[in-house]
Amino acid sequence: MRETRLWSLHILVLPIIAILLGMHFAVMHYAPVFYGMSVEEARDFDTMIERGKSVTQLVLYILLLAAALYHGMYGVRGIIRELPLTPAFAKIVDIGIVSFGLFIFALGTYVTWWTFSFKIGG
Amino acid sequence: MSDKTTTPREITFRVRRYDPDVDTVPHFDEYRMHVHDGMTVLEALHEIKAHQEPTLAWRSSCRMGVCGSCGMFINHLPMLACQTQVLHLGTDVVTVAPLPNYDNVKDLVPNLEPLIEKHAAVKPFIIHTNSKEIDEPTGEFLQTPDERESISQFTHCIKCGLCLAACPTVATDPLFLGPQALAQAYRYTADNRDCGLHERLESIDIFHGPYQCHLAGACSQACPKGVDPAFAIQLLKRTLVLDGIGIRKRKSSLAKVSPLADVVKAIEEFAPPPRTVK
Repeated sequence: MRETRLWSLHILVLPIIAILLGMHFAVMHYAPVFYGMSVEEARDFDTMIERGKSVTQLVLYILLLAAALYHGMYGVRGIIRELPLTPAFAKIVDIGIVSFGLFIFALGTYVTWWTFSFKIGG
Repeated sequence: MSDKTTTPREITFRVRRYDPDVDTVPHFDEYRMHVHDGMTVLEALHEIKAHQEPTLAWRSSCRMGVCGSCGMFINHLPMLACQTQVLHLGTDVVTVAPLPNYDNVKDLVPNLEPLIEKHAAVKPFIIHTNSKEIDEPTGEFLQTPDERESISQFTHCIKCGLCLAACPTVATDPLFLGPQALAQAYRYTADNRDCGLHERLESIDIFHGPYQCHLAGACSQACPKGVDPAFAIQLLKRTLVLDGIGIRKRKSSLAKVSPLADVVKAIEEFAPPPRTVK
């Protein structure tokens, strides 16, 4: 794929990360300010499960996961590929980065879905 | 012109020496000489070669900052030796070494092959869709003064290679195309007579292309001709992104060709007066 598309996407996801990470901070770390509950309450398992049942939260967290992973993995690739690598090794790095990113995305999506579909008491 | 009326100052030149046939590693030799006001580093090297060290090697030609041959690492900065006056450096010891980020051929001679190869890779020439007009021209491609001005500074590149020597990205990533080639890629891509962006994509839209620039700006500081390659790289990025999403502005005067008859007529109108001295 043309590097321009990869680079442009890495820049375009920045506002998505900024907005969704802001929401994450508001929910998790600034709960006393926005939701009138202590940070301990916001991090409580039952509260998280309750929050996780929201479709909006499911969609937004998967979107945040995808955006942050893409941005991060593109950056890591840039650092590694700057090393003097042979073309074959550079290809291995690219494949490795994509594979690792997809694995983490699958894992994160599974956890988010698990939370969404968790049955209290079941 | 050099002002030789002022009292000369004694300067020590620390010159890095390396002869691949003799040395395993480079070393520095010192030469002391009296330097008068206006004397350039290149002139000082000629003095050293003439009177102290006849085997000293470097590359130079025009002596007036046009050919770009005498790029050197002078007091730890890439400069043209012919444009750098010794006393302007303000130090009693002047260190002269070959340009970094290049292999060292001998003494102060860098191997500029990577510069030339990267430059050639970006197809630094006008590419036109109408190949017939290129092969059998019926006229002259028009360019307005504004269109010329938009690429003017990037046409001043003399391929001295100082920008690559200054670039911290080239230091860590030898495959990075570098400021010189990328600035030239922009210079031709932005030219209203050119439509070769897509032919150049294969060589510039790559990992080691414009997105690898770390925005240090050292290239623009080093350029002896006032070119701003760092700016050109940013403009090239914009061009590539706009082209990638399909909203790049089409060139308005691409097909305008002034018939040769008109060009000849214009030349005749501005012809110089006939010679008066035989």
